[in-house]
Amino acid sequence: MASDSSPANFNNGPSSPDDSFSSPIPNTSSPAHRRRRGRRQASTPSTAAATPPPNPSRFANSASTPTPSRSTKRGRRPATSPTPAAAATPSSTDDFPPPSSDGGDDMEEATPTFVWGTNISVQDVKNAIQMFIKHFRDPQELSNDIYGEGKYTRMIHRVLEVEGEWIDVDAHDVFNYDSDLYNKMMRYPLEVLAIFDIVLMDIVSLINPLFDKHVQVRIHNLKSSTSMRNLNPSDIEKMVSLKGMVIRCSSIIPEIREAVFRCIVCGYHSDPIVVDRGRITEPTSCLKQECMAKNSMTLVHNRCRFADKQIVRLQETPDEIPEGGTPHTVSLLMHDKLVDAGKPGDRVEVTGIYRAMSVRVGPTQRTVKSLFKTYIDCLHIKKNDKSRMTAEDPMEVDKGSQRVDDDVQFDEEKVEELKELSKQPDVYEKLTRSLAPNIWELDDVKKGLLCQLFGGNALVLPSGASFRGDINILLVGDPGTSKSQLLQYIHKLAPRGIYTSGRGSSAVGLTAYVAKDPETGETVLESGALVLSDRGICCIDEFDKMSDNARSMLHEVMEQQTVSIAKAGIIASLNARTSVLACANPSGSRYNPRLSVIDNIHLPPTLLSRFDLIYLILDKADEQTDRRLAKHIVSLHFEDTEIAEHDVIDLATLTAYVSYARKNIHPKLSDEAAEELTRGYVEMRKRGNFPGSSKKVITATPRQIESLIRLSEALARIRFSEWVEMRDVTEAFRLLEVAMQQSATDHSTGTIDMDLITTGVSASERMRRESVLSAARNIIMDKLQLGGPSVRLLELLEELKKQSSGGEIHLHDLRTAVATLASEGFVVLHGDSVKRI
Amino acid sequence: MGGPPYDCMSNPLGAVRLTFEKAIGLGSGSETVTHPSAFEGKDWGALELFRHFLFQESGLSKVPILNPKTLRWVQHNSLVRYRGMIQDMLGNEFYVGAYRDIKDGSSWRTNKFTDVSQYPMESPSVTCIWERRLLYCVPVPGQSSWAEPSCDMDPNWSPQSREKRRRMDGEDSDPMDLVPEDEVKSSPITKKMREDGLPSTSPEPMDLKTASSSPGMSTVQFVDKDNLPCLVKIYDSPESDLKLNDVFEFIGVLTFDSELAVEKDDNELSNSFYDDALVHMPPNKVPRLHCIVHRKLAVHDFLPGSPIMEPKPHLVKEIREALFRHLTAVLGNDGVAAHFMLLHLLSKVHTRVDDVAIGKLSLNLIGLSKESVSVFGTRLTQTFKSLLPCTKCLPLTLEYLNTASLAPKKDYQTNRLIPGVLQLPEGSHLMVDETQLESGSLNSIGIENTKILKNLTEFQKVEYDFQFYKVEMAADIQLLIFSDGKSNIVPADVIVPFQPSALESSEIPVAEALEAWRWYLATVRSLPHSIGSEMQKVVEDDLVAARQADRSLGSQDFSRWLTMGRLISSSLGETCLSLEHWQMVKELERLRKERLK
Repeated sequence: MASDSSPANFNNGPSSPDDSFSSPIPNTSSPAHRRRRGRRQASTPSTAAATPPPNPSRFANSASTPTPSRSTKRGRRPATSPTPAAAATPSSTDDFPPPSSDGGDDMEEATPTFVWGTNISVQDVKNAIQMFIKHFRDPQELSNDIYGEGKYTRMIHRVLEVEGEWIDVDAHDVFNYDSDLYNKMMRYPLEVLAIFDIVLMDIVSLINPLFDKHVQVRIHNLKSSTSMRNLNPSDIEKMVSLKGMVIRCSSIIPEIREAVFRCIVCGYHSDPIVVDRGRITEPTSCLKQECMAKNSMTLVHNRCRFADKQIVRLQETPDEIPEGGTPHTVSLLMHDKLVDAGKPGDRVEVTGIYRAMSVRVGPTQRTVKSLFKTYIDCLHIKKNDKSRMTAEDPMEVDKGSQRVDDDVQFDEEKVEELKELSKQPDVYEKLTRSLAPNIWELDDVKKGLLCQLFGGNALVLPSGASFRGDINILLVGDPGTSKSQLLQYIHKLAPRGIYTSGRGSSAVGLTAYVAKDPETGETVLESGALVLSDRGICCIDEFDKMSDNARSMLHEVMEQQTVSIAKAGIIASLNARTSVLACANPSGSRYNPRLSVIDNIHLPPTLLSRFDLIYLILDKADEQTDRRLAKHIVSLHFEDTEIAEHDVIDLATLTAYVSYARKNIHPKLSDEAAEELTRGYVEMRKRGNFPGSSKKVITATPRQIESLIRLSEALARIRFSEWVEMRDVTEAFRLLEVAMQQSATDHSTGTIDMDLITTGVSASERMRRESVLSAARNIIMDKLQLGGPSVRLLELLEELKKQSSGGEIHLHDLRTAVATLASEGFVVLHGDSVKRI
Repeated sequence: MGGPPYDCMSNPLGAVRLTFEKAIGLGSGSETVTHPSAFEGKDWGALELFRHFLFQESGLSKVPILNPKTLRWVQHNSLVRYRGMIQDMLGNEFYVGAYRDIKDGSSWRTNKFTDVSQYPMESPSVTCIWERRLLYCVPVPGQSSWAEPSCDMDPNWSPQSREKRRRMDGEDSDPMDLVPEDEVKSSPITKKMREDGLPSTSPEPMDLKTASSSPGMSTVQFVDKDNLPCLVKIYDSPESDLKLNDVFEFIGVLTFDSELAVEKDDNELSNSFYDDALVHMPPNKVPRLHCIVHRKLAVHDFLPGSPIMEPKPHLVKEIREALFRHLTAVLGNDGVAAHFMLLHLLSKVHTRVDDVAIGKLSLNLIGLSKESVSVFGTRLTQTFKSLLPCTKCLPLTLEYLNTASLAPKKDYQTNRLIPGVLQLPEGSHLMVDETQLESGSLNSIGIENTKILKNLTEFQKVEYDFQFYKVEMAADIQLLIFSDGKSNIVPADVIVPFQPSALESSEIPVAEALEAWRWYLATVRSLPHSIGSEMQKVVEDDLVAARQADRSLGSQDFSRWLTMGRLISSSLGETCLSLEHWQMVKELERLRKERLK
């Protein structure tokens, strides 16, 4: 290359000396100039590494040259630089005279060349790559015209249009098209990628002979990815793919690619001297025949070419660290466009070539230490994490497809295993058993929680109305009934979850708050717990101790599933499609069975009704449960815990099972299930109408039928079934009833009364109040004169007690009755005295 | 030297080399030479040789223990042993495992168990690349002086070897006569030292002088004189064998490979490629040990030279009585507290079921003031130091909470895990003195620290901070808390009001008694335990009855009782819970309850 471009450059160079520094500016230069820049990119290790020196010594060579020689690169670009390169750059080619390294030149002579040390023919590989680029078609596109352009041909055209610098090649495509080529690429990435680049340049120059940028190939999405821990010597010089977290980035290092020297005696500028194995050979004397001054050459920085380089450290993600180990790290070498592609904290997937360089004993010594430093020459980097807040469109339909944490990947084997599990007839029971196995009993509660984990399908009607798919659960119970443990467990298991305590949460902490950025002074929106647990489960402990203000924020979240913010100039509606799992203690530390749930936990009925399932976990003085507790603890201490826990699915599998189901299973209601739902709901409503009773008890509300649908969908999901079946509906009814029986049972009558939840007052209570009211009215009518003297409330109470036959009447009952009468304008209430008006 | 063709002690590398040559069939004269790649990640017989030497020929006791004292005279490339806790793991290192000698192109050499090749290795030669693991080890934190392996156990050997070395100095011949002169001399340090006439290849001169010269020392705490960290290189052993915080004894080849650090690479680029951690660990401060044999140390391995006794019940009971009397005396004649203390000292995490660590019994002595702690606290500290291999004391002042780093934290600048106070090996004892805590405000570090302490007591787990995420590590630490009222920062399993009746100091126990007690505490702790079905029934009935009577009893209380039951029976040397033990548990609990009122 030097021979064709450098003269041009020489003439042209002085006019724009800065250009060498500012490669991204595309408009300054002559074609020759540009071509040179392109070539500089070519010298990133991914491509230029094509020097296959004698195999065993490769390590030693690469040792001294983290940036491999680009000698062959130049030789191999016959299309763009027809002049054989060897003449122009004798130093570099001479070093590695032999085999395929000069494949480009050899190919023209059509002599078969081989990748060093193997029987892989360069020509064969070249042909295979050409075939791949020309003929590969994405099977998913199902394009009708077979004669249309292949995927990568189109991609090349696109790259040419936008003057791009690389094309991304999916390794899966390569594998599908030519598995042999794929294998060669994995094993000899340096060589194959170099050939790939050559082929690419050939094609590019055919399409547009004037296009002079160098187009590189970037392989990504390998068939298998390695764990950082398992990288071993056999992976050296192989293509690998790794996942990890970026923990440190070095500053950008300008790496010299071509140096220009000037003679201080005569001012002669040398030809650009390229980096050879990490070094620049400085001319010892002026090259100009007339001058020949010794030691007169100085580096002209302005005319040297530099490339960006960055060293990044990648660390294992927490899930890959074995017990009792610390995370491993690996260094990445990034070039050019890859620089700054990842920031510390990013989870990335990296494709690159694993390389090793030996450590020199000293700069002056030739001997090499027996150690190697390893790094990965990065070819492609993909960020894995999407920011939670920005990932989705606010009102987008929950198709469930993005539900899962992006981290969870399922390989086919795992999926098979999960499917196998789902086929077991007792999978529901098994999962229930596996949920918090050290918390025994509470099977129905666990079943409810299981449904919450799996969740129903969210639905958005064309009219814009949306129905949530998330199931909200409230656990109310006595202290020491392992509510918090359950919460912690679910938090651990949930694909995404936030655990907060009601006492320590403020309204803004739960939803979102506006803060001033300390640096820029801009107002920024910071998301709170509920927004952060979007598409997950928000666990709120000590729900009862939450301030009313904070609790009222939950109204919107639990039904509309959004958080609306209007403050400090920011008006926003954020998604909070979260299931709420709350637990509360009864107000008087212990649950008083004589009071309603509302009275016991002091939660507003409006909020309470938004919970699909409310479980009362009561610590009954029951010998049976005590015995079970005792047995459990004794077995914990004495028996082999593994035996005690057999037949339980481990946490990892359980998590995978939930994630897979949430991602891939979207059950629909079957006709018979729908019918059953309708029938069951009507029946539930009917239960409130006692024949011959004037009492109207509401046993079910439309909210219940929504809950039922969600529950049955979740149950179908547990079975990996695409259809909600009859049995799911039956089970959903049972779950709901169990929950309601506990929380919405009117203790005075023993029937289910939804009014208890929705208004906090049961129907029987209402009736009693009415009777007190009418009795009070009668007494006042009898005893008090219109405008006459006032009577004390206690006196009235005495009267009432005398008259009423059954049931106790308390002062506060009377007080409410009198207050009602006062509002009717029947009496006036001054403190404790009642006066009729 | 004579005798065997190799000396495992002073020339382990020679032994390695010989076995290697034998294994690849070099010396045997056979035509076929095994390609060394067959030995990748495998032993070729060297291990067996060393095992035989160490354990059959009882060479183990002759191997010098590496500590700051012995470091002065231990030779480069000789066999040493090192006891330490794995504090950090530095990943894997690739090295040229075997290469072809350039002089005659056929013979293979190995670099296993060494840093620098013994034969000149030209750049383009035929090589095999193998890998080894790097572990950063530190002396066991809080180790009591009696538990340290005594270095004078080989008094015969060391003077002799010193003499030998002196003699060799005179001849100016390297003890490793297998190593070609020119190669050793090419290392500038050795050459210089020899010219200076300094004692042989001893690295002592550079040991301490240069200690503070290196910039960016983030782990300054480890370079003090009595604390010798060591970089251990592990060969061919599965990853699961060696875990973080495990205490190991490593036996291997010591190298003071000075070159790596002395020569700061000129090339800035490749410098960034160095494992940052290694740059901060110059070998003159952190010796390298190429581990040949390693073994995990349990509590009883710390007992110096005591024979493994069968824990016979009558013997155990005797020792228990004596120890109990001693503890009672130390605790100012408070028998109840002494009972609980004894159980506490025997506790250990047996199993974990989910988050529950079974077997732990943390103890909170309440009713202590600053003054009484100064008396009893110091007394107890001394007692524990003389009884337990690893103890640590945590003065829980506000300032301490706000500044201390309890949990280890990863520093990405140096790529090292900065040790925290709570990075302790299994079975350590930790005293937390809360009496000094005064009211005031905690900063974010303080809050984090209280959370860590609470987690440790409740779940026996410590969260290590890797900045971008945290990793929970299981711990097994006995916690003893002194406080005035019940400690809320460190919620212990058992709360015992401390009621001393006497102040006079206890007599100092005789050495034999101490030894017996140490043996007792170490042995009894690991006794197996079971329960008969009948006893199980009794226990269950008792628990049910207790719960019927008192609804406030929860699973934690029951768990505590059962732990105590187990500890009582094993404290008596029994392996099965009997009714008698169970009655003792109930009685102890009754006494404790009475005090709590």
